Amino acid sequence: MPLVHRLAALLCGITLGGPLLAADIDAQSYGYPLTNPFEATIATTPPELQPKLPADADIDQQDYRVKLRPEREFELPDNFWPVTKMGYSLAEQKGEAPLIFIIAGTGMPYNSSTAEYLKKLFYGAGYHVVQLSSPTSYDFMSAASRYATPGLTGEDADDLYRAMQAVRAQHPHLKVSAFHLTGYSLGALQAAFVSQLDETRRSFNFKRVLLLNPPVNLYTSTSNLDRLVQTQVEGINSTTTFYEMVLAKLTRYFQAKGYVDLNDAMLFDFQRSKEQLSDEQMAMLIGAVFRFSAADIAFTSDLINRRGLITPARYPINDSTSLTPFFKRALQCNFDCYITEQLIPMWRARHDGGSITQMVDQISLYAIEDYLKNSSKIAVMHNADDLILGPGDLGFLRKTLGDRLTVYPFGGHCGNLNYRVNSDAMLEFFRG
Amino acid sequence: MVKPLATTLLLTLLMTSGLTQAQHQTDDDGFKRPLQHLELNPGLDQREFERSTLGALNVYDPLESWNRRVYHFNYRFDQWVFLPIVDGYRYITPTVVQHGVTNFFSNLGDVPNLLNSVLQLKAKRSMETTARLLLNTTIGVAGLWDPASRMGLPKQREDFGQTLGFYGAPAGPYLMLPLLGPSNLRDTGGLVVDFSAKSQVNWLNVAEASNSHPEITLLETVDQRSTVNFRYGQLNSPFEYEKIRYFYNESRKLLIVE
Repeated sequence: MPLVHRLAALLCGITLGGPLLAADIDAQSYGYPLTNPFEATIATTPPELQPKLPADADIDQQDYRVKLRPEREFELPDNFWPVTKMGYSLAEQKGEAPLIFIIAGTGMPYNSSTAEYLKKLFYGAGYHVVQLSSPTSYDFMSAASRYATPGLTGEDADDLYRAMQAVRAQHPHLKVSAFHLTGYSLGALQAAFVSQLDETRRSFNFKRVLLLNPPVNLYTSTSNLDRLVQTQVEGINSTTTFYEMVLAKLTRYFQAKGYVDLNDAMLFDFQRSKEQLSDEQMAMLIGAVFRFSAADIAFTSDLINRRGLITPARYPINDSTSLTPFFKRALQCNFDCYITEQLIPMWRARHDGGSITQMVDQISLYAIEDYLKNSSKIAVMHNADDLILGPGDLGFLRKTLGDRLTVYPFGGHCGNLNYRVNSDAMLEFFRG
Repeated sequence: MVKPLATTLLLTLLMTSGLTQAQHQTDDDGFKRPLQHLELNPGLDQREFERSTLGALNVYDPLESWNRRVYHFNYRFDQWVFLPIVDGYRYITPTVVQHGVTNFFSNLGDVPNLLNSVLQLKAKRSMETTARLLLNTTIGVAGLWDPASRMGLPKQREDFGQTLGFYGAPAGPYLMLPLLGPSNLRDTGGLVVDFSAKSQVNWLNVAEASNSHPEITLLETVDQRSTVNFRYGQLNSPFEYEKIRYFYNESRKLLIVE
C-alpha cells in the first residue's frame, strides 16, 4: 500500500509541479486528411476544408513601393530596374483596427500564395494587414537589405525592422490600435528575432507574435532541403530527365481526363490517379523548388556584392544581356554552397573568425532561447512531420516554450496552415 | 499482491509505449522523422536536379537579346499603362458586368476553338464546342452568360498554333511579342490565322462592328488582360525570362498532345 501512495504522490508531483506541457493535437480528433508530409507540403488543404475567406474584390488593398536603399538604383545593373524599391502590400480596414505584419518564407515575395492566404484570413477577422517579402527573396535583397547576404538572422531581422518602420511612416493616417507579427517558415524564425529587436527599439511594442513552422536549427533545415534532391527517383534514365518524367505523368493524366484544367482540387485528384507521384518524386519536386530559391539567392547576393563567384565583377549587363550562363552557374549552388562560399566568409570578415557551429548558434532559435522562454507574447505552431526539422528540434521547442507550443500531428511543411482547425487556432491566439 | 500488480502495470505501460513507437517511429519529443524512409542516393552526389534543369534551359531562342528587350518593354508597359487601365476598369465596372463582358468575348472565342477542333478531327470536342456556342448564344443571351459550363461543357481551347503542332509543325524560334507576351514562330502564325478566321466568320457581327468602333477591340483587350492572372515580376526571380520561356514551351506541348 505505501508504495501505491508514494507512486501517486510522485505522479501528482510530476503533473502539477513540472513545466507546462505543449498542446499536442491528437491525430484522430485533428481530422486533417493528408497524412503524407510530402503530399501535404505540395497540395496543402483540400478546398472544402479551408476556412471561409473574403474575396479579393472585398478587400481594400493596394501594393506600395518604398525607397529604402537609394544607392541601389546606381549600383544595380539596368535589368534590375523593377527591384530598386521595396514592394509590399497593405490591406486597410475602415477606421481603427489592430495591424498585423506577415513575413514570407524562404525566397518568397510578399504576394506569394501563403502570404496572400494569411492576409485574407486576418483581414476577414478585422485586422489591417501588411505583407512583407522574405529577406531571402530577390526583391528584398535588392531593395531593402543592407548587406544583401541573407542568412544571418539578426541582420535580416534588422533589415525587416527598418522596412516595417518605413511602411508605418508611409501611412501616417492609418489608425492602428495594436501591432501584431507573424511569419511562416523562415519568416517565422525572423519574426522571433524581429520581436526581440522590438523590445529595445520599441517602435511597435508587438502585442502578440505567432511563429508558424519555424526552423529551429537553420543549418539542419537547409541541409534537409538540400538533401531532398538526392532521392533516388524511379523513371529517370539517360533519355528522360526528372521534369520530363513529371510532365509525362501530367500529360497522361490530362489525356485520360479529356481536358486541361488547372485548379486547387486538381492536385488531390492527381494524387489519387494512377499517375500519382511517389514520396521520392515529391521530395525531389520540393527540393527543386528550394534549389531555385538557392540559385536566386546565390546569384543576387554575388552580383550586388560584386564577389565575382557567379557573375564576373564589372561584367556589363543591360536589358538585352542573356543571364542564362549565370543562371546555369547559380543552379549548381545549393544552400550549403551558398553558406560556404558567401555567408560564412562575410560573417567571418565581420566578426573576426569563428566556426560554422558558432554561426549556426547565432542564426538559429537557440540564440534567443532565454527570450523565447520568458516572453509570453510569443507562440509557436508546428507539425510533428515537418520536413525542415531535425531530431531534437521539437524537444527544444517543448522545453523552451512550454504550453505556448502547439504541435499538430500532420501537415508536413506549412501544408495545414489553411486547414480550418489551424486557422481557427491562429485567430484565437491573436484574439486572446 | 501489490507488487506484482505494479509490475504488470509497468510492463504493460512499457509494452504499449513500445508498440506505439514501432507504429509511428516517432521520437520521444513527438518528431516523426519524415525524411527517414526516403531512398537517398548513398553518396549524396547525384546531379539529377542540375541535369534536368540545364536540359530544360535548352530552348531554341536565337533572338534572345531582342526578346529580352521586348520582355522589359512589356514589363514596363504592363506596370505603367496596362494594369492601371485594368484596375480602373475593375474599379468602375460592377462585377456582374465584368463577368458578362468576359463571357461575351469568350463566346466569340469559341468560334476559332470550334474551327481548330474540326481541323484536328477531334469529333467529341467539336460537338461539345458546337453545343457550347449554340447554348451560350441562345440561352446565354448572345454569350453574356455561360450556362454551358454549368451544364458540364467546360471551355476547351484550341488555336491554330495547336492545330499546326498537332500535325507535327515544329515550334520554331521562341518569340517575345510586344504587348502579347511569350510565343514562338508557329504560334504567332497561328495567332494571325485565328484572328482573320474570327473576322471572316463575323459571329454576332462583332468583327464588323469593331471596324467602325475601335472601343470594342479596346474593351476586349482590357477584358483579356484582367482575366489573365499573370503579372510580370510575379515569379520574383532574376531569371524570370528563362522560367517564362520554359513554362510557355511546356504548356504549349501539353495543350498540343491533349
